Amino acid sequence: MVDFEAAGAKLYVLSYDEVDALADYKQAHGATFTLLSDPHSEVIRSFGILNTTIAEDDHPWHGIPYPGVYVTDGEGIITQKFFENNFTVRPGAEQLVAAVKGEDVLLAERPATDQEVEVEVEFEGNDLPVGITRQIVARFSVPKGMHLYQEPVPEGLVAASIELDDEAEGIVSYTLVAPETQPHTLGTDGHTLEVYEGNPVLRLPIAQNGRAITKDDDGRWVSVSGRVRWQACNDETCLVPDEKAFSFRVPSAFTVMADMGPGEGRVPSMNGATHFKKMTDRRKTAS
Amino acid sequence: MQIERDTRGAELGPNQYEDAEGYIAPLPAGYGPRSNPLGAFPTGPEVGEYLPDVVAVNSEGSTVDLHIDREGKPAVLVFTRSAVW
Repeated sequence: MVDFEAAGAKLYVLSYDEVDALADYKQAHGATFTLLSDPHSEVIRSFGILNTTIAEDDHPWHGIPYPGVYVTDGEGIITQKFFENNFTVRPGAEQLVAAVKGEDVLLAERPATDQEVEVEVEFEGNDLPVGITRQIVARFSVPKGMHLYQEPVPEGLVAASIELDDEAEGIVSYTLVAPETQPHTLGTDGHTLEVYEGNPVLRLPIAQNGRAITKDDDGRWVSVSGRVRWQACNDETCLVPDEKAFSFRVPSAFTVMADMGPGEGRVPSMNGATHFKKMTDRRKTAS
Repeated sequence: MQIERDTRGAELGPNQYEDAEGYIAPLPAGYGPRSNPLGAFPTGPEVGEYLPDVVAVNSEGSTVDLHIDREGKPAVLVFTRSAVW
């Protein structure tokens, strides 16, 4: 488990469950974060994120939010938020911790002029369960006086990007998370492009939908491969486009989902069926 | 804002339904708890805004005011559907 405390942040998880259900969950899973109970969906409504596609008489699902995550700074200002249409997709802990820390500040010194761009590609996390987003992270080191381009670029230039191989079945990729850019005006025609300088970090969130899993005697695995592409330029000239291939093979751990009883990947049980019955009964009485 | 349900998907077999992104579950897309919004949907307060007050009861039964409880630290607030199902 990625340590939110070590990142200096506090983690809160709010749902429309009853207090005693949360207490059971906390015990069953050894949760160390704060579980908050919003049984009448008051907080959920106050945020304006009640799932209104579920009718009020559709027991017991009514009252759930469009699930998502807010990250604040120490002043309580929202710095990032994560909402996906598909509830199956949730940001992984590494991504949230990165969000808490803000843009990555690399302490590595920038290479001197005339040196080459360097890039390190990393799969952030130890596994890729179904639906949990992890990131492919490309950490560039761009020599002084040089820059990389952000999309879109005119024909003939290559923007810095992370691309997955076409045959990566079952891997879903999302919008590239990129650091701030600087406007850069081309001498030739006065065109202004957005460029990265220094040590930019590009992050490609990915998830898998279950079809990416392969099994062998050692367990279940997911492979992700692709390439990082870029082209380095200074004020006068551009180097030839470059790329670096990557290939990662990580375990596909189980996602803890419905916990209604014992079963593969569903240990320890928290007697979900009992809480579910209570929830259903209460909602029937309330209407 | 009238939000539409995403019902795109296909039946693969008994209790095997795939949604538009290829995720497989025992329920068809758009049914009961598998009600995802199609297109734009409300995601609450925006980046740059102060996180609205969150006052709720925790798993120990005590009332928690998030902004007081976080003691000046950054907070990560997850809205999840249910810990039960």
